[in-house]
Amino acid sequence: MVSKSFIVKNTYGIHARPARLIVQAASKYASQIYLAKNGEEVDAKSIMGILMLEAGKGSELVLRIKGEDENEALEELQTIFEEITSIDGSAKIGY
Amino acid sequence: MSTKKSENHLAGVAASPGIAFGNVLCIGGDAAEVVKAPISAAQVSVEIEKLEIALSKSKVDLQETYEKTLNSFGVEAAEIFSTHIMMLDDPMVVKKSMEKIKNERVNADYAFATVMEKYVGMLRGMKDEVFKARSADVIDLKRRVIRYIQGGAQNRLKQLKEPAIIFAKELTPSETIRIDKSKVLGFAMDFGARTSHATILARSIKVPAVVGLNNARDILKDGDLVILDGDAGECVVNPTQKTIETYRKRRDEYRRFEKKLSAIKGLPARTKDGKDIEIASNIEFPNEVDSIVDLRGDGIGLYRTEYLFLAGDHCPEEEQQFQEYKSIIEKLNGKPLVIRTFDLGGDKPSEYLPMPVELNPFLGVRGVRLYREGGSEFFRKQLRAIIRASAYGDVRIMFPMIAFVSEIRYCRSVMDDIMHEFTRNGVPFNKKIPIGAMIEVPSAAVAADLIAKECDFLSIGTNDLIQYTVAADRGNKNLDYLYQPYHPAILRFVHDTIQKGHQQGAWVGLCGEAASDPLLTMVFIGMGLDEFSVSPVSHLLIKAIIRHVEYSECEKLADKAMAFSTSEEVAEYLKDIYFKKFRHLQYFSH
Repeated sequence: MVSKSFIVKNTYGIHARPARLIVQAASKYASQIYLAKNGEEVDAKSIMGILMLEAGKGSELVLRIKGEDENEALEELQTIFEEITSIDGSAKIGY
Repeated sequence: MSTKKSENHLAGVAASPGIAFGNVLCIGGDAAEVVKAPISAAQVSVEIEKLEIALSKSKVDLQETYEKTLNSFGVEAAEIFSTHIMMLDDPMVVKKSMEKIKNERVNADYAFATVMEKYVGMLRGMKDEVFKARSADVIDLKRRVIRYIQGGAQNRLKQLKEPAIIFAKELTPSETIRIDKSKVLGFAMDFGARTSHATILARSIKVPAVVGLNNARDILKDGDLVILDGDAGECVVNPTQKTIETYRKRRDEYRRFEKKLSAIKGLPARTKDGKDIEIASNIEFPNEVDSIVDLRGDGIGLYRTEYLFLAGDHCPEEEQQFQEYKSIIEKLNGKPLVIRTFDLGGDKPSEYLPMPVELNPFLGVRGVRLYREGGSEFFRKQLRAIIRASAYGDVRIMFPMIAFVSEIRYCRSVMDDIMHEFTRNGVPFNKKIPIGAMIEVPSAAVAADLIAKECDFLSIGTNDLIQYTVAADRGNKNLDYLYQPYHPAILRFVHDTIQKGHQQGAWVGLCGEAASDPLLTMVFIGMGLDEFSVSPVSHLLIKAIIRHVEYSECEKLADKAMAFSTSEEVAEYLKDIYFKKFRHLQYFSH
């Protein structure tokens, strides 16, 4: 099992668009992938689950991956989180 | 034995002129009813299959919408639909719904609705507005899938393949705008008024409408042959051959009349004694612009932008709005375009904009009031798009529901803020973009001079001004006697607003339905109104009246009209004058 924590830095948090990017990436892997906030853990392949975390700016998220391709999955998701952090500005609100 | 059904005349209120013949399509409203129904063990697999099929059909629809939106509006606007598809693919959503069907032995629509409603509840309970707003997406998806599970009976607007007369108890604005306008022959409704959204649409796309039919729902069936008389406010069901002939003649007469009127296209709206009056048009949809250009009038005096906000399921992005406004102003060839910032709330709630639940929405957070509350981001986005479009022509901005000077100042300050940023970044725009206030709240009419001091123009919105002045809901048929543009108090408000505006150097227009009422044209000219902004369908008639009168006689007539004590006396007097003076324009009966 591998895990890593992140701080949400973009203004609007993990709203629909970032959530979609995470699900898209996570769904490519066979491993079980979870995302947690304040101890509440959801399936990172479920967009509804991720939205339910209400991960606004400043939230601390923990990514936990378990399975044969966990290292590759972690690597890709790490890149995704960096991308999300760079999504910002008023033009990017919402989706 | 004869299977012929007997002719039936239903009386309603004339809401948009013209005569239409056609078959009825009944629209039942969008709220699919979900009832919990226990199922047998054998039925479980049937219900699961129903859900699977509904999900995959919904995804096909969404993919189609995604591609269409992508082509017309770009990736930002389209993205929401890929989010929707992903939500329907969500392993949790699918798994939970299937489990519910299996374990609780319930019908597919109930199982799916329950799962989605739980998410809606959780999203609504969130503090962050960005997350809260997503609840509307989930509601939308829930409805979409349920429609398919229940057999698609609800989604009838989409099935509009043949031109038809649309009948509904009532159409909401968001239903109205989803209708394929090229297939609509006319609108008939049990509720609604001359000023409700669907009838405004009818006039803008020039099809007849009759509203206030009360119980036509019980009589009309899909496919019934109907004559819709938008002048007399009548709906004839299963007409005899003889009746059809009579109406055909009338329709031909109407067409001849229209043709006669079209001869004055391009001629100035000038009184016989030389006073020029502007006639602009009210529009709702960007695709109406071509017909406005064809009228060769004075541009657009009211572009209602709500449709942009109601058409989709999310706030239109700045770029999408900018392209929309730019394409309109470029077609207008130097003529003005008055864009009214979105007036949501009241009878036009938005599905995604966080709005408080109010006991009395018409007296609640609507119009400009929303710009300081939950709508501030949307307001800013719209203003940015409008200000950018001002670089391409004579764009003007108008704010709805102004009741107080500080609201104008607030709007101005947001504009200043945006303009500073644009100046800094070298974004081109018109630094002197004219701004105006809608005068539709009595306090604004009383203090019109104070408001005019801070504006370039005023535009009187009689639809709301009447309802707020006489305290009568404009959709309430029992209060028709109060809801009258001929009411002496309304005439005074219009008169005083014009005077007060002029004192402060502001021009004054009128963009409510009263501007399209031929009985009132001379009165408003006499009061000194600078601009009539009318439904496209009435444009040439109002111009014909203006060209046939002298300003000096209008002044006298306005004084006289204002001296009466009741609406009935005013209307009586104006009808009398109208029928005597405009014999040649008398196709329109009143």
